[in-house]
Amino acid sequence: MDLVNNLLLGFGTALTLSNLLYAFLGCMIGTLIGVLPGIGPIATLAMLLPMTYALEPTSALIMLAGIYYGAQYGGSTTAILVNLPGESSSVVTCLDGYQMARRGRAGAALATAAIGSFFAGTVGTLVLAALAAPMVELAFKFGPAEYFSLMVLGLIGAVVLASGSLVKAIGMIVLGLLLGLVGTDVNSGVARFSFDIPELSDGIGFVGVAMGVFGFAEIIANLEHGGEKRQVFTDKVGSLMPTWDEVKQASGAVLRGTGLGAVLGVLPGGGALLASFAAYTVEKKLGGKNADPPFGQGNIRGVAAPESANNAGAQTSFIPMLTLGIPPNAVMALMIGAMTIHNIQPGPQVMTSNPTLFWGLIASMWIGNFMLVILNLPLIGMWVQLLKVPYRLLYPAILVFCAIGVYSINNNPFDVLMTAAFGAVGYLFFKLRCEPAPLILGFILGPMMEENLRRAMLLSRGDPTVFVTRPLSLGLLIAAVALIVIVTLPQINRKRQEAFHEVD
Amino acid sequence: MKPKNAKDFWSGVMFIAFGLFFAGFARQYDLGTAARMGPGYFPTMLGLLLVGIGAFVAFRGLRTAAEDGHGHIDRFHFKPLILVLGAVVAFGLLLRPAGLIVALLALIFISSLGSGEFKLKEILPLAIGLCLLVLAVFIWGLGLTIPVLPAFMQR
Repeated sequence: MDLVNNLLLGFGTALTLSNLLYAFLGCMIGTLIGVLPGIGPIATLAMLLPMTYALEPTSALIMLAGIYYGAQYGGSTTAILVNLPGESSSVVTCLDGYQMARRGRAGAALATAAIGSFFAGTVGTLVLAALAAPMVELAFKFGPAEYFSLMVLGLIGAVVLASGSLVKAIGMIVLGLLLGLVGTDVNSGVARFSFDIPELSDGIGFVGVAMGVFGFAEIIANLEHGGEKRQVFTDKVGSLMPTWDEVKQASGAVLRGTGLGAVLGVLPGGGALLASFAAYTVEKKLGGKNADPPFGQGNIRGVAAPESANNAGAQTSFIPMLTLGIPPNAVMALMIGAMTIHNIQPGPQVMTSNPTLFWGLIASMWIGNFMLVILNLPLIGMWVQLLKVPYRLLYPAILVFCAIGVYSINNNPFDVLMTAAFGAVGYLFFKLRCEPAPLILGFILGPMMEENLRRAMLLSRGDPTVFVTRPLSLGLLIAAVALIVIVTLPQINRKRQEAFHEVD
Repeated sequence: MKPKNAKDFWSGVMFIAFGLFFAGFARQYDLGTAARMGPGYFPTMLGLLLVGIGAFVAFRGLRTAAEDGHGHIDRFHFKPLILVLGAVVAFGLLLRPAGLIVALLALIFISSLGSGEFKLKEILPLAIGLCLLVLAVFIWGLGLTIPVLPAFMQR
């Protein structure tokens, strides 16, 4: 069977000593940074990306994937122990996880999160492996018009599923697209919006944008509050073993969370964040009334479901990224950026032209998930110690790594200054409640969208109806319009606000 | 007229400003035709779209109060903003002429002033530790080519 052969090829690549080491290092460092409150996977990836430059592409991507899972899992640890989500997809984990910790069941909550994540990761990896080949085949049927429509759908999906104002999020996307256009236009060779600054004619570096808008802006926002308000339940981690009753309750939630997460991860705009929100809501709807203890007061299902879902979603969101070259969320946008830095043009051709990279990465995802379990459960004590380091000592250290990371991309101090500028812009976004994630997505997709729009219009000799006369493209656009219509329906909109409100 | 939702109003103004900026400068570039788009076509379209979105958001901010009642903009804290970003800028400016060590020390000391609880006896060991860690990981470990010492002390 093809699938088995492919997976064997993948494991052959991933199980070499050096790649295992990189997967391990990635998970380890990712968790280390992810545990720190206020640093999500996006900032973590942006910060650690430079460490992978020297590696060959396969190892670099394996390590980055490890960093991503690590950061994701580290975020859950923080959510459970300190009630501070390290990243947005573990916001819901806070609700019940922290309450479990307060009742002395932190150990059980952490173990459930780890094992649920591992199970979900395994299923997610299998789904990814099975769907990759058919998706690639579909992708080869795509012309520029389809690609353009798919990107529209992806961007719309990303904003519809985000919290907050829909129109503002669309504004952020368009701004991101525009920022992505800065630099030399490939078709005409004109340096756009570069104002005779040579660095700008190469375009704005996406690492700087991500790091400034997410990392720096968050640090400044954290400093506003001043002082320490965190309370770590260090002495009460308790036994890692859940009780038999908890296992029974959690296993159903893990299964539902995994299924939901795997499906939602593939959707444009989907991924870990949406998956965890949806899974929590479903658990609450299913017999939330007579749950014991009630949801929000330390129910283990409230930890198991979102944690499984976000990991399954994290896994399957690689599908559109790897097969179509289109990132469904900001994290995948960073992965695309990383591939480009390593001179791999993301898209359907990666699977055929670079099979060891493709299948090696998939296999290493499972290995990474496995490592997280063995890494995290015994090392919980160490992560807890890390949480005790006061923020006033942490953030200068974070800044140091960010600054060196940005500099080392091009060995150019200009990038450092640029990142500081985006930090200021990011702080403004924060004050105006403009979500920065859609901006990053738009930023990565900007040049691709323009390229495909141009090609499609060239092929149709300037006839814009090409987007609605080709059935695949039409279908994608209809889906995008449908998404907007559905969310703007009054009753759905209210529900959506409620769903996000619950976790505020 | 005072906007009922200042966050939305000023977000809209920001979008309009960015949109005008991009659409305005895109005028220097050739628009081309729909079939053969020049470098100015897509940015002009997007810039105008952004102006439209901004106008909508700003207008809504004038008329409609925020659903959660937090329409006002929270105070800007300029001290951490300036100290954190200033520290990063100092790092960028010092790196080439003064070398990594000096730049790192500037970054760490300036930024740590931003927390409002600066204690020299905490920050000094932190700075030394971080410098050693950076040297070990990035210079000796990963072999990045960053000037470590000030320019005049290099061979």
